[in-house]
Amino acid sequence: MRDYDPSGVRIARDREETEEERHSRVLAERAQLGDTEAFGELIERHRSQAKMWAERITGNPHMADDIVQDALIRAFLHIGSLHDTSRFLPWLHKIVRNQANMRLRRGGPYKREKPFAAFGSAEGEIDAVDWDDLDSVLFHLTRTAASEANNVHDPAESLMRKELYETIHSVLNCLNRKERDIFEAYFFKQLSPDEIAAMYRMTTGSIYTYIHRSRQKLRQAHVRVSLGLLPKGGGKALVKSKLLQLPEWPASDAVMLSFIDRIGQMLAAVGDRRDMAELMGISGFAFRMQISDRTTYADGLYMFDWRQTLKAFMRELGYETTLLCGQLAGSPVPLLGAVERFPVVLPIEEAVIPFIRQEIDAGRPVLYFDTAASRPYVHEWSLIYGYDDDKRTVQLTDVMKPEGKMLAYGDIALNPVRFLASVRRIEDPARAARTRAAKGMEGRRIAESAILLAIAHARNPRAYCPMTAYLSYTSGLSAYDRWIGHMRGDPAVPPNRYGAGQLAAAYSQTRRYAAYYLRGIPFQGEAMRLALLASEAYEQASETLAEFSDEVPFVRTAEALSPEQCGKCVVWLERAKAFEAAAIGYLEKAIDHSEKGKSI
Amino acid sequence: MTDFHHLHNLQDAKASFERNNPDVQVLIEQAADHYELLQAYKSDEAPDMIESGGWALFNHKDMFVDLLPYVDEVPGLKEDFNPGLMRVACKDGNLPGLPVDIALPLILYRKDMFDSAGLPYPTDDWTWDEMMALAERLTIRGDNGVARQFGFGFGVDIEEFEPFIMRNGGRYLSADGSTSRGHVDQPAVIEAFRKLIDAYRVHRVIRNPGEPSEAGELHQGFAMIFGFTWFAGGLVIHGLSDKFGVVGLPNMPGGERSNMLYMGAAGVTSKSRHPRLAWEFVRHYALERADAFRPSSARTLPATRSLAEESGMTQHPIWSRYVQELDHVQTSGFYISEKWNASRQLINEDIHKMILEGADVAQKLNSWTRFA
Repeated sequence: MRDYDPSGVRIARDREETEEERHSRVLAERAQLGDTEAFGELIERHRSQAKMWAERITGNPHMADDIVQDALIRAFLHIGSLHDTSRFLPWLHKIVRNQANMRLRRGGPYKREKPFAAFGSAEGEIDAVDWDDLDSVLFHLTRTAASEANNVHDPAESLMRKELYETIHSVLNCLNRKERDIFEAYFFKQLSPDEIAAMYRMTTGSIYTYIHRSRQKLRQAHVRVSLGLLPKGGGKALVKSKLLQLPEWPASDAVMLSFIDRIGQMLAAVGDRRDMAELMGISGFAFRMQISDRTTYADGLYMFDWRQTLKAFMRELGYETTLLCGQLAGSPVPLLGAVERFPVVLPIEEAVIPFIRQEIDAGRPVLYFDTAASRPYVHEWSLIYGYDDDKRTVQLTDVMKPEGKMLAYGDIALNPVRFLASVRRIEDPARAARTRAAKGMEGRRIAESAILLAIAHARNPRAYCPMTAYLSYTSGLSAYDRWIGHMRGDPAVPPNRYGAGQLAAAYSQTRRYAAYYLRGIPFQGEAMRLALLASEAYEQASETLAEFSDEVPFVRTAEALSPEQCGKCVVWLERAKAFEAAAIGYLEKAIDHSEKGKSI
Repeated sequence: MTDFHHLHNLQDAKASFERNNPDVQVLIEQAADHYELLQAYKSDEAPDMIESGGWALFNHKDMFVDLLPYVDEVPGLKEDFNPGLMRVACKDGNLPGLPVDIALPLILYRKDMFDSAGLPYPTDDWTWDEMMALAERLTIRGDNGVARQFGFGFGVDIEEFEPFIMRNGGRYLSADGSTSRGHVDQPAVIEAFRKLIDAYRVHRVIRNPGEPSEAGELHQGFAMIFGFTWFAGGLVIHGLSDKFGVVGLPNMPGGERSNMLYMGAAGVTSKSRHPRLAWEFVRHYALERADAFRPSSARTLPATRSLAEESGMTQHPIWSRYVQELDHVQTSGFYISEKWNASRQLINEDIHKMILEGADVAQKLNSWTRFA
């Protein structure tokens, strides 16, 4: 069977897909899950092609740029409606063509938009879909789903989609014209309430009221769906809840760096319980230290490239990561140094909740950055392990609440930092067999790589540089000097007390894990002896930092540190630095011996 | 509650305010960033006053009490405020906080480096091209190509490029901040941006990101420095100011006399149980302490003309030029669009690509319309 796209994009379904097609399909699948990075990669691959199409239609390169921009936004918004992920390119082509035609009809990029609502056109004329008109889009999707249900292999899946579209359609019919217009402007055209207010000459407050009212109507409709009232006979698959059973995770064993602790718990939840010392060591977090150049705020603990670090670490452990990542524009964002590099996204539930549902349904908890963490924390990584469509809540972990807690769907969408991730084991039996066969060698390679990472970090005073002049951090052994400088400090810049408390508690613990990790690595002979000496030195550094932590516990308080306390802390920091410098010296020698051992 | 880490001014103000009001105690609590401040505001124990760097929180409707009615109660105060400053602070028709941490950039130049090169000191009528010619003469590289002196000390940040864009008649965003389309992608912006990027790539007078250097710190091996008041204050405090002269930013072909402004504010929260008392404190803190702006120790500018006079700033050879420049400040993009502001690091990554990889300037600017 051959399928012909009138644009000239020829699709051959009766042949093996090429590597390029396979890659695009996988990216489209990931993008459908809300993986913004995957979508970005898709766009990078096809942007110039899209521009060529737009230019061919309009004959105007400038207009073509605008069209591509709009088409990409539309594609991003609607990628969930792409039923056959292997047809991303023809699908994108249609969007570009529709956008181009619409621009031409409008007579140029700056003419006022006149929606085209001829959606009831003849069967098969899918080009008539007007991607700016919700009715038209929904009509098209419903029809496509219905016809797919008759033809494709998985009619149940398509029927469920059809139900969903019909539901949305019915629900939107509950809204009056103005509510629908505003709803469309907000959700589909991504306009801000201020922009919509300007368009309709209304106040921003009343726009919020409209959106709120529409949401409430949607919610009521959801309840109706759950009762099987809407649509007729449908809705059985739409409203659900599920709660995963997380493995026991006693607070006494928890690692303060919640990034690693949650990863450990997430892996345990899918039956892959790892030793925490191993996770701390391999990830490098056992050895890291990073201090803000401003004062003893604890933000240095969180300053690294979250996306790249998580992906690389999970790959090392044999997992593939799917990410949902962004920042909201309308609200202050914590941890600017890391988060400001995320794309700006809108607070739309539909962009996050389906991802959570899908992962929980598949038995996988979702790593989630919680900016509503219970005190004394402000924000920490947590695991979402349940959802309830009826209550519209998710269930998630919280460091200070062993029983977990609930957050509303709306709160998840409104989290100013959007960072959700799930992992799947990479099915690579050959790799697994190789690992088993050469476990000794593999273990040594991993340990060497972890130690080299630790040394590189210790010797690098600028391990992470945010792309802004306003924020800077000092890392490695130099971080001790920075920290000492803050504690010794200028009376005009007193050390921040609760931040210092968190830093001391966290870094005392990470050094302890460094010591544990080094005791267990598969080195031999002199290399192992040196690794054990390094372990001992880390243990001493940890104990010294624990004294600091006992003096300045991690609690929220406005109380300032006294000069005497600061003086004591400086002594402890100097001592801890000496121990850690010795540990790094031993590790450098251990690596030399390990290398020699291989060449013999 | 404050997200500043320099607390000496607050501590001084607390001491003098408590001395004058023995029945009042001011508690100072520190937050790491805007987000923590907002969380504190939303909590059941919202602070009476919030001080924050930048303007992000002050754009939140209803979070702060409008201080204009209080200002009106004080005879002459409204007229005493620097009008350029108030143009920016009252952009939404109210005054959500009293400006603090007020800073702007000028060019500080090393007189000795100009003297050794036999070059005349720049004056306010100089142009960008003249500045580049001077900077080339003042950049000294060794045989290995590593500079031991750079002509121009300048970083890589979209915000710091903005005054040059403004001076060329361009703007990143529409006046209401709603869009960058039709603004950041316009010829005036592209032209100014190309000139800035050429300074790194063609004239090679600015240290590129990651470029090896033997020029030392900014106050050591750089002949002309894009210096905010914080830097100028540091020079004065460390007794180095005699070595430096100060001049306005060079004129761009667009011929507009504008500059950017950086400031935060101290405001009274709408949840305050003692708004009048809180106003009294922020007024005391920001407007009544001339000692905080003595040229010998200041790092930022005062909000009122009388403070500038009383503190001695208007008589100081360097500080007086900064005070004077306040008349020309305009609202920067980051004040009026949080979306633009939030994309700063993504934009800066693109600027790095322009400098290091020669990425097309117009194309990149056009692509930034996605950021606002």
